[in-house]
Amino acid sequence: MGRLSAPATSPGAGAAPAAVPAEPAVPFVEIEAVRAKEFVPAAKEALTALVAEQGQRKLIQPVFNWAGRNSLFPLHWGLACCAIEFAAAFGARWDAERFGVVPRSSPRQCDLLIVNGTVTWKVAHKLVTLYEQMPEPKWVIAMGNCATGGGPFRTAYSVVPGVDKLVPVDVYIAGCPPRPEAMLDGILELEKLIRERKE
Amino acid sequence: MQPADLEQALRPRLGEHLLGVEPFEGTAGKVRFDRSAAVATFRALHDELGFTHLAMIGGIDWVAHREVVYTLWSDAAKQYVFLSTTVPADDAHVESASGVWPSANWHEREAWEMVDITFDHHPDLRHLLMPDGYAFHPLLRSFKLHEPEELEVKVRHV
Repeated sequence: MGRLSAPATSPGAGAAPAAVPAEPAVPFVEIEAVRAKEFVPAAKEALTALVAEQGQRKLIQPVFNWAGRNSLFPLHWGLACCAIEFAAAFGARWDAERFGVVPRSSPRQCDLLIVNGTVTWKVAHKLVTLYEQMPEPKWVIAMGNCATGGGPFRTAYSVVPGVDKLVPVDVYIAGCPPRPEAMLDGILELEKLIRERKE
Repeated sequence: MQPADLEQALRPRLGEHLLGVEPFEGTAGKVRFDRSAAVATFRALHDELGFTHLAMIGGIDWVAHREVVYTLWSDAAKQYVFLSTTVPADDAHVESASGVWPSANWHEREAWEMVDITFDHHPDLRHLLMPDGYAFHPLLRSFKLHEPEELEVKVRHV
């Protein structure tokens, strides 16, 4: 405390260095050249110790989250007019591929199901089948009012009132239909969710 | 072809099962027939009068009874004709037309699932637009629009 308060009386005088003891110098460390043969066991030992201390899941999970959120593969499955906006978002003007979002044609290659349109009871079990074919981890975006809550057809005899009756939904996008910007915003919201994912 | 021509051609074949032929704008006429002579009517129109194309089958719920309307087209005469028959609501059965016009198959499936008219001797009478096991006939007037929670459709047994 005394050392800090002493120069405050005359900060610009230039007389302080004489009273302050010199900082201990950084100790010289002799860096040896490490051969790859020696480095690999050493790194393995250090990593094993770290995993034993922290737990493997905790260490690996951020890596998977980073990789997953930067390469979301949605299923290319169009249901209704929202699919037109879905397609436009992957065109040249909005270019969703700059977020690593590439639509795939097979559910086995996908980790994101974007339900874009009205889901009828007739097609409901096909949607569940497609969802179950996707490998874990997987996410669902309900795009547009119909997928969110049935939309204008909510009380109709043939329409599922919200796709969350069938599959767990992570992000809802409002709009009838949503603009491609809204869809990109929903994808970025999902990336935030994946970033915080713990397990 | 005029309604009088239709009546003249159909009366010898159907007898009193032909309930009348009314003029209907834009068509050759609207033929009302008794449902017990359904196949004879279909055969007469298809084989004798050349109405080889079945455009549509519709079902109408008039609460006390139900009406089945067939729309036929003749390539030779370039004309439509309507057929109409009524069935009581508590015994809604008609003979299937799919033996005469194969395109009747799906139309009759739809009429059955929407207004609950059963078509006898239909080769494959099951749901067309709704999932299997759907418990309602939604275009009946007794069908009430419901809250979504009241509609229970078993999608899948997981």
